[in-house]
Amino acid sequence: MTYRYVVNPDLCTGCRTCELACAFTHTQNQKPGRSRIYPIAYRPDKFVPVTCLQCDDAACVKSCLFEALKRNPTTGAIELDKQRCVNCRACVAACPFGCALIDDIHDEVVKCDLCGGSPACAQFCPTKALIYRRIA
Amino acid sequence: MHLTINGKVIKAAEGEMLLPAIRRQGIEIPALCDHAAVEPCGACRLCMVEITRQDWNGWRRHVTSCLYPVEEGLIVSTHTPQVLEIRRTILDLYLARCPNSDVIQKMAEEYGLTKTSYEIIPEGDNCIMCYACTRICEMLGKSAISAVQRGHKKVISAPFGKEPPDCIGCLSCAFICPTDVIEWRDQNGTRTIWSRTFELISCTACGKQILTRDFADYLAAKRAVPREYFETCDDCKRVELSRKMGGLVDLAKEVAL
Amino acid sequence: MRIDSIDKLSRWREECRRTFTAPQRKVFVCLGEACLANGAEEVFHEFQKLVAERKLSDVTVESVTKTGCHGFCSLGPLVIIEPDGTFYTKVGKADVAKIVDKTLAAREVIDRLVYVDAGTKEKKVDYHTIPFYARQQRISLRNCGAIDPHKLVDYIAVGGYGALAKVLATMTPQQVIDEITNSRLRGRGGAGFPTGRKWATCAQIEADIRYVICNGDEGDPGAFSDRTTMGSDPHSVLEGMIICAYAVGSPQGYIYVREEYPLAVVTLQKAVDQARERGLLGQNILGSGLSFDIKISRGGGAFVCGESSALMKSVAGDVGEPRAKYIRSVIKGLHDKPTVLNNVETFATIPVIIERGADWFAAIGTKKSTGTKVFSLAGKITNTGLVEVPMGITLREIIFDIGGGIPDGRKFKAVQTGGPSGGCLPENKIDLPVDFDTLTEAGSMMGSGGMVIMDDRTCMVEVARYFLSFLASESCGKCVPCREGLYQLLQYCIKICDGVGTEADLAQMEQMAKVIQIGSLCGLGQSGPNPFLSTLMYFRDEYLAHIRDKKCPGGVCRKLITYTINDECTGCMACISVCPVIAITGEKKKKHIIDQALCSRCGSCYAVCKFDAIDIK
Repeated sequence: MTYRYVVNPDLCTGCRTCELACAFTHTQNQKPGRSRIYPIAYRPDKFVPVTCLQCDDAACVKSCLFEALKRNPTTGAIELDKQRCVNCRACVAACPFGCALIDDIHDEVVKCDLCGGSPACAQFCPTKALIYRRIA
Repeated sequence: MHLTINGKVIKAAEGEMLLPAIRRQGIEIPALCDHAAVEPCGACRLCMVEITRQDWNGWRRHVTSCLYPVEEGLIVSTHTPQVLEIRRTILDLYLARCPNSDVIQKMAEEYGLTKTSYEIIPEGDNCIMCYACTRICEMLGKSAISAVQRGHKKVISAPFGKEPPDCIGCLSCAFICPTDVIEWRDQNGTRTIWSRTFELISCTACGKQILTRDFADYLAAKRAVPREYFETCDDCKRVELSRKMGGLVDLAKEVAL
Repeated sequence: MRIDSIDKLSRWREECRRTFTAPQRKVFVCLGEACLANGAEEVFHEFQKLVAERKLSDVTVESVTKTGCHGFCSLGPLVIIEPDGTFYTKVGKADVAKIVDKTLAAREVIDRLVYVDAGTKEKKVDYHTIPFYARQQRISLRNCGAIDPHKLVDYIAVGGYGALAKVLATMTPQQVIDEITNSRLRGRGGAGFPTGRKWATCAQIEADIRYVICNGDEGDPGAFSDRTTMGSDPHSVLEGMIICAYAVGSPQGYIYVREEYPLAVVTLQKAVDQARERGLLGQNILGSGLSFDIKISRGGGAFVCGESSALMKSVAGDVGEPRAKYIRSVIKGLHDKPTVLNNVETFATIPVIIERGADWFAAIGTKKSTGTKVFSLAGKITNTGLVEVPMGITLREIIFDIGGGIPDGRKFKAVQTGGPSGGCLPENKIDLPVDFDTLTEAGSMMGSGGMVIMDDRTCMVEVARYFLSFLASESCGKCVPCREGLYQLLQYCIKICDGVGTEADLAQMEQMAKVIQIGSLCGLGQSGPNPFLSTLMYFRDEYLAHIRDKKCPGGVCRKLITYTINDECTGCMACISVCPVIAITGEKKKKHIIDQALCSRCGSCYAVCKFDAIDIK
């Protein structure tokens, strides 16, 4: 099965529910994690939920000298292996979209992993601007 | 293939080492120099276990589980009195070398030790000589630092104690160090580590520091990551993306209309 | 001119033999390291000069041959005249004229230079009658002292590279491996692993390249046999390596020589260059299709680089640190490829086994330790030097019959075998046969053949301290048990030597020694506590004397001994003039006194006193 994560910015109202859902889904040590999705206003009333595009030829994967970023064949997401990650922040600097993120609270690099196959942001988005769809 | 760990028969894959197989059973054994990002080196000796086989007629051997490959029919014991004695003595020796290290103190406490039975080494510091830093530097292809000197004078150092010519200021060594002994500082647009100063790239949009110029050059050259990706910081790149995507939406709307 | 076929080699051998045996009489001047240090080079040049001037009938300039180490190092510079067998000791430049006039011209023996047996005081002119030589069976040392190591023609003349020719012409690689296996030859570097099995394992592994490495590191203090073989008969090592390369299928070999053997490096390099020039190394050796070349790799001054995996890292240009050898280096060695690593002595023995057959070799020595072994005799022994004897000979025979016993009328106390990794054995153990297994059972080991003899003025605790200090500083430092453990063991030992150790310390040391043995990554650490454990096993009373009585029975440990002058003192003032801290006072012909507060226990007074007037207690 192949799934695809689809973002339709036209439907985004900037309600930030996705950000909340993501932060709470990635709670660690009783603290909410850094949200991997960033709704940004490109005009005062127009929003785009910016998140990892799980690029085919990902700059983050290429920049990791320790092979800590790998694609999960089931979900299609590029996942960060926390055991192997050394925290060098090469991926954070390399991603052309700024979607590998630094979690300041836990001092580590975090990355959208599509919640292992059931992205919380898509679940909670009230306008269906974020969809996780099976395409095959 | 099958082998026995603490009396239980378990399955393991060919080419695997004993340590991950043991950990999969939920058995915890200390392994100071073990880190998923680098190859095992068997330096700390804490992960030692006892092995034997049916046809060895009672003869046993002690090996480091991080480096010993699984074998069909192997019989492994992880907590025999002798193994525990070895671990305890090694931690005792560590306490003599790194008396102020929290990591060592915590581990030693689990084996009933609060202070060392031996003479504390005057030059001892918190470096536990796990070689994680040298291995990670080797792995990324630079080998800028290494363990130098022999015996108990051994230290981690740059060549001849001077500025390491191969260092790129990536901080991998500092971040992987389990006892945080590698010093580094970012200030005034530069980074200093191993007595060498590197220029940090500032975001062209907002001026925030990103990473060192040498690190960016290295990634661009070695991994074919476009060099211009490193000139803006992640915050500004996200804003740029939102503008691009938003622009496309607007354009689509225009066209539809 | 390349020798590109076996026939050509045979014909060239005839030429070489004619040249080598042309002079009716030959004068061999030993230029081994010890003789060199005592002025042998001058002696050699003087012979060349005087023989040329004198124009004798049966001794020409071609007769004067410099050789490598002849083995009897305490009596050098040595000069041997063949075929007479005349053996002259401690020859100086000034003696040469007399030797030329009397012995060479008139066949008269010069009494002063003849060997005198230290025990019986008998004079022996012919070295074949001297027990030191008569009791030996020289296989790997066969050519040492008999040929010029810098002349390939000499090696060819005495049959060198004949084994290689036999192998290439009449044997398959498997047959070579079988022959070595049947000889039951075990590695001479110390571990004693069956050589045939090592070669067989390497040959069987599928790989794009295999390597052959010769371990010439010889790190054991007191061992100098490999130095001799490399410097006196380098081609025997090369020949052994080429035969191995043929057997296992390898195109590239290395000889790893320790930094501290500069002469051996020069001699080996010369030998390699000569062999290459003649086509005995390089492409298509002797027209057989075998291509093999050798590089000399120098050590950096580290004992740990004698360990096989550390050695291979050093050859590859990395820091010489061992690795855990759960995957043996014969499977994954240099550059992770199958590698055969053997000792110098092992390779030097190979050509003889090929020539004379596995059965001949297996009949020498014992059933499980076949053949001979070279021992380096050093320390408090009359006859210092190298001997090669069949396995199974007892320590007593080596030390007393061949070694000449303990000099200066002192008593035997202990013999340290196998270098720092070995142990010390007392008098009641020296009837044990020397082989790979028996000494190990007694708590020592044969190792690479180093034998340091100790007399009754030795402190066994100090011996343990010395070797622990050596091992602690030579430890590579990678693993905790060896790096930290040996260091701490040393600290305890120093405390005992200084008289502030306790019995609790001793118990702590025994416990830690066990952990170091089991927990260490490589052989250096695993055998590191041996000097302590073996001396404790056989000389526990000495440890206890240091601890309980604060006394050093051997009279060595400075903090526990005192030097006093007894009534034998004649007042000659010799000691006063050598005392570096001016601790001795006294007038001529009156008994002197040592001020204990100033005395530094250096032993200079004891060394100069001719009247046994100084007591050390």
